[in-house]
Amino acid sequence: MNIYPAEIEFMAENEIIQIVPTFNHASHVHLICGSYGPFRAGLPLNVPIWVAMNLRQKKTCRILAPDWMALDKLQERLEEEKASKFFTQLPSNYYLEITQMLLTVASEDIPQGNEIKTAVKDLWDLRIAKLRSSVDLFIKEGRVQASLNHLTPMEINSVRPVFPDTLDALMTLHEQINSNDDRDDGSQSSSATPGSASFSLSM
Amino acid sequence: MDIDILDLIDDEDDDNQEEMTAQKVLQIVERAWLNEKFSPEILPHQTDYVDCLLEQIKGMEDNLAKLSKTDPKVDLHKLEMERIKFVITSYLRTRLKKIEYFCVSVLEEESNRLEADAYLSPAELKFAKEFAQNADNHFDTILRHMPQLYNKLDMNKKVIKPNLNSFVFLKCYKHIDSVIIQNTLESQEEEIVLEDGSQHLMPYSSVAEFVKKGAVQLI
Repeated sequence: MNIYPAEIEFMAENEIIQIVPTFNHASHVHLICGSYGPFRAGLPLNVPIWVAMNLRQKKTCRILAPDWMALDKLQERLEEEKASKFFTQLPSNYYLEITQMLLTVASEDIPQGNEIKTAVKDLWDLRIAKLRSSVDLFIKEGRVQASLNHLTPMEINSVRPVFPDTLDALMTLHEQINSNDDRDDGSQSSSATPGSASFSLSM
Repeated sequence: MDIDILDLIDDEDDDNQEEMTAQKVLQIVERAWLNEKFSPEILPHQTDYVDCLLEQIKGMEDNLAKLSKTDPKVDLHKLEMERIKFVITSYLRTRLKKIEYFCVSVLEEESNRLEADAYLSPAELKFAKEFAQNADNHFDTILRHMPQLYNKLDMNKKVIKPNLNSFVFLKCYKHIDSVIIQNTLESQEEEIVLEDGSQHLMPYSSVAEFVKKGAVQLI
């Protein structure tokens, strides 16, 4: 099964961010996902990103960029990522989506927006290149388990469904070869995942 | 009049006789949604939690109707309800898709389970049975017009089973001492330790029981 990038963005919208409201609302807002407030003009408070974006679109708040969303911090991350053989731990699991969302809705609130966009894109490109070469190595070495620490959901989704499907197909082929070696011609029911073409071999 | 949504949430907890906040229920449903999306087979249903959320939404809708439209929090509550509805519908649709696709095998496995650990909710079971019945009727109608040699349907060939060995991405929420992975390529077994918070790629069959117990989240 697949997940759409928009659905990952949907999950990213649950992350917490700081805003500065321009209105006053004394009582807390009791949402199912938690209580937020009180809203006092000029005083920063924590809210989920989807709340922040909704208020920002109505021009009733200013969004404060998260700590990591600063050019010098991102450059540091970039250097760290370049130096490391493995994937480094990032300050946010949804760095690409959050940057994208905030720059779309509240570009005036983020200092050096364009430079930040480029830096985040560089970071993404670097990590995706790393991911692709590890995928290549993984398949060539014929392994069945991999550790994927610090990869973000969006990065994982970038190799889906091709990567897991390829592995599934490889395994099916090997099973078929093994069972033929054993001269075991038991009946085989076809197996597949919804949404993908069924993969069965008839001999 | 100011309506306190928290009162509503507290009432809910008393009914369930459990210490569980609406926030926690939402988190459980969101995780179930992702697990269902990524797992090759259908997972045990979470109807209790889904129903709990739907009740919350209903109560919230009633309360919102009493609030004035200019209240800044009305929009936020409405938006949140839409978000939750999206998760629930997507979750239920994913399950229906699997039921339709693996209909025969899902029903067969379900008949081997006790009622207490059924994977399908009563409504889903009813749907699955009707779906299977309708498919059979349909095939019968067509096959009647086929030459005699071809007018029999081999039930075993019709069965589509989920590929439980398909590869999944997962994140671990608990330390798991030992997970056995079948290496088809070399016809041997590998054993690994899953650290708390680590992420992995491996065949679903190795971690299926942990997914159902909630120790592992598919991502």
